[in-house]
Amino acid sequence: MWILQLAWKNLWRNKSRTAITMASIFFAVVLSVLTSSLKTGIFDNLIKNVVSFYSGYVQVHKAGYWEEQLLDNSFAASPQLEKTILAQTEITGVTPRFESFALASAEMNTKACLVVGIDPVKEDRLTHLAAKLIAGEYLKPDDNAVLASEGLLKRMKLQLHDTLVLIGQGYQGATAAGKYPIKGVAHFGSPDLNDRLLYLPLSAAQNMFEAPAMLTSYVLSVRNPGLVNATSLSVQQRLGNEYEVMSWEKMMPDIKQHVQGDSNNMQVVQLFLYLLISFGIFGTSLMMMAERRFELGMLVAIGMKKTKLAFLLLTESVLAVLIGCILGITASIPIVYYLNRHPLRLGGEVAKAYERFGFEAIFPTSTDSMHFITQGLFVLLIGLILSLYPVLKLIRLNPVLSMKK
Amino acid sequence: MRCSLIILFCCSFSFAYPQSATEIIQKADEKMRGKTSQGEILIKTTRPTWSREMRLKTWMKGTEFAILLVQSPPKDKGIVYLKRKKEVWNWMPILERIIKLPPSMMTNSWMGTDFTNDDLVKESSVVQDYHHRLLGDTVVNGKACYRLELLPKPNTAVVWGKLLVAIDKNDFLELYTEFFDEEGKLINTMQAYDIKLMDGRLIPTRMEMIPADKKGHKTEIRYLSIQFNRTIDDNFFSIERIKQFN
Amino acid sequence: MIFRIAWRNIWRNKMRSLVIILSVAIGLFAGIAVLALYKGILNSRIHTVIYAETGHLQIHHKLFKQDNEPQFIIQQGEALLAALKKNSSVKLFTTRSITQGMLATSTGSAGVKINGIIPGKEDEVSGLGNKIIAGKGFDTTKKNQVFIGKKLADKMKLKTGGKLVLTFTDVDANMISAAFRVAAIYQSDNAPLDERNVYVRLSELNQMLTIGNAFHEICVILQNDALTDIVRQQLQQQYPEQLIESWKDISPETDLMIDTVDTTSYIIIGIILFALAFGIVNTMLMAILERTQEIGVMMALGMNRIRLFLLVFLETVFLTLIGTPVGLAVAWILTLYYQRHGLNWSSAGEEVMRSFGFSSMIYPEFPTEKIIAVIGIVLFTALASCIYPAIKALQLQPVEALRK
Repeated sequence: MWILQLAWKNLWRNKSRTAITMASIFFAVVLSVLTSSLKTGIFDNLIKNVVSFYSGYVQVHKAGYWEEQLLDNSFAASPQLEKTILAQTEITGVTPRFESFALASAEMNTKACLVVGIDPVKEDRLTHLAAKLIAGEYLKPDDNAVLASEGLLKRMKLQLHDTLVLIGQGYQGATAAGKYPIKGVAHFGSPDLNDRLLYLPLSAAQNMFEAPAMLTSYVLSVRNPGLVNATSLSVQQRLGNEYEVMSWEKMMPDIKQHVQGDSNNMQVVQLFLYLLISFGIFGTSLMMMAERRFELGMLVAIGMKKTKLAFLLLTESVLAVLIGCILGITASIPIVYYLNRHPLRLGGEVAKAYERFGFEAIFPTSTDSMHFITQGLFVLLIGLILSLYPVLKLIRLNPVLSMKK
Repeated sequence: MRCSLIILFCCSFSFAYPQSATEIIQKADEKMRGKTSQGEILIKTTRPTWSREMRLKTWMKGTEFAILLVQSPPKDKGIVYLKRKKEVWNWMPILERIIKLPPSMMTNSWMGTDFTNDDLVKESSVVQDYHHRLLGDTVVNGKACYRLELLPKPNTAVVWGKLLVAIDKNDFLELYTEFFDEEGKLINTMQAYDIKLMDGRLIPTRMEMIPADKKGHKTEIRYLSIQFNRTIDDNFFSIERIKQFN
Repeated sequence: MIFRIAWRNIWRNKMRSLVIILSVAIGLFAGIAVLALYKGILNSRIHTVIYAETGHLQIHHKLFKQDNEPQFIIQQGEALLAALKKNSSVKLFTTRSITQGMLATSTGSAGVKINGIIPGKEDEVSGLGNKIIAGKGFDTTKKNQVFIGKKLADKMKLKTGGKLVLTFTDVDANMISAAFRVAAIYQSDNAPLDERNVYVRLSELNQMLTIGNAFHEICVILQNDALTDIVRQQLQQQYPEQLIESWKDISPETDLMIDTVDTTSYIIIGIILFALAFGIVNTMLMAILERTQEIGVMMALGMNRIRLFLLVFLETVFLTLIGTPVGLAVAWILTLYYQRHGLNWSSAGEEVMRSFGFSSMIYPEFPTEKIIAVIGIVLFTALASCIYPAIKALQLQPVEALRK
């Protein structure tokens, strides 16, 4: 106990030295927390953007639908089913969809398109569809009209308020056909979607394909996107084998792969931050030992046991590192939260690339507590390992030589 | 009528002689096709969870022209598919529109059956596109049959690796066909039943197509009536004409 | 005088000097290494897109991309090719004829984009040959051969040598069906793309499409990435009747990813430079702290404060000047080594990455164009960071400093 007291007093005795040591730890924590949370925040934001585009974070289908996207693999919508899904606390919303390929035709022009039957209100909440409108009006649930993608209309040489004809394969072999006015035109950033997407209100789509109350997918909104895999697993367990629950990672493995690749590469970059941090801390403790050589030499000379002294030094370092870490974490919390609420906003080329998809070019931080804990612990570890340096130095200390100066 | 009599006559005449494999196939092919044909058929599609029946009127001329007119179910009544050479046109009476099926739709199922749109257009011919070999004799549903192996000629646009066909020795009816892929795996089995006299020809009037690896899938075609070799003008198979069916 | 004292001071306390030299060297090294890594990451990303998928530029008939309809061939294609050949910014190019069609096997069928390619040139431009995972590629003695992607091959249960039927329409909208045999199965980083694209020989496809020597697409590789936008504009002005797109137009998703990585890197580099500056300031402060007594003596002996400031400052300049080439040399050697051999970093995620066919190798590249800036920043940081300790030293009261 006396060692702790002595160490504490020693820290206060030379305030500036202690301040510098703590500051090196403090900044190390702040900077690594910031790096880690920015890195995660930026990629999470990118994923959020990408999934909000169409797929959503998690989808529920009838088992086998993803491999064979046929109406035969659709399922009956039921409040019971929705309730079961929503019973999982991680799920905040369920958006129904009815998707099928069809031919869109006008005069002599016939193009293949993807017809998506939607609940207009829920869909807008999920993918902000109304905001993508460039002409006309957004769909209402009881409309018998389509909202077409800009590229598809251009290919078909049609305009707003024209009529188009849809023909396709209905449910259980029925023939699906319908004539619809074009009520709205939307622009999608992804060329692929922009060339073939066509939205119908859910009931209109179900009528056309003669599949009343059938759905091809439920798109689930989740509370914590970081947990999609665990969440989809637990939903899967609740629903059983009759359904398949897929996270965006399974639906878009290529995006997952890119994000993973890039964020892993960033990890390498972060290693250099640790290198610099370590060296900063090491430099400080090196200098501290140089400064205290005389003092330590004297203590050994007047008979203080090296082991006790080493323990004292270690306690001092650990105290300084610990306090530095705690201060660092405390200080980084408001910074990270501030940068989450008021994210970095970029212009120029970056903004253009983001705008093309209708995304905002913002780079927010992630406020996941994981960053504070892991980065804090990591710096603590570095600090503790480097605290061994004074101890090693002390063991080799020659009291006579060190006092000679 | 005279034409078909001649064909019948030819058949029975050549019967006395030993047959080459190609001749057997040729006869069987001719038997079901004729120069032209018109008739009424029933198509029943069976899936694990549902099944559906469709009644159609058909007109065909050679391999190039065909019209399919849907009679029932009532909702689809009046839908027409027209095949002209390698194009397929679709007339939808409720929309009053005619649509040419684009190549991208060719892989899709034709009206929910086990056939694809492409099957309507395909002109692969069992006579032209295959090497034929007589394997021996067999018995199908109590009828003595030839067993033949059909291997596609190189560079023909045929997806199968091999066809095993059983053809009735007396009437040259294709009673049983197995479709294999290139690795020798069975993909589809076609069986013909209910041999009846129609328009003076003895033909099987019910055919079943069963995919090997899809449980509970089946397509059944039943001839309600058929007439062979009536003259049908090429102009009959025109876009203008199919709009007037209703 | 001051120079000499400063120089001697450096040698007097070797350990302290070494620490400062090392912090500058490590700072510089870290800065360069991060830039080199980042450049490697970015280049590999751009490479997989430009050199394996899109090329820098693609040229089409204005209407071709709407539906990939084969009648929209590039007009006066030969003249355009001749002009590209003369353009000094253009490194490579290849032509393709393309049609939308259907692939059928006994297992099933799928819609595909049929690319007619010139095998040798295609390998140079898009590295198709490197993506082959099974089979030997086109055999000049055999006709009607096709490359298909791995995912499609699995779905259609096709192996090399297997047969498939391609159906498509020619320029007069006649339906054409032809049997092809799988000459190779390829796999790239972009699985969805692999599933949709098959490759046949241009000469054979052209014959079936009845378009003679024409083509639908020119894929252009430029001398370097920076030329993309300039050459695109220049060509578009020269050939207003063609649609000329850069890889950013063709794959905006990639542009988005690259810009994100780009921005993130700059932010992280900023943080790293901050950490570097802080490390140097800290070490310097400690060094001054350690010298309190010494400075006190000098001041007591009547050394002028400006001279004292200069002394501390000059020491730092010397130390920085020694540290800079050291850091630079280490960074340069390491970068060069890893540029050649690749930096393979093992991590928990590696297995996952490999299962996606994603390599965890990074090939860093020496950031020549940014090297001056980095050295500048490090020098500035080092020198700026010694000003505060130097001022701190000036504020020392000789008596107090000596008392300790």
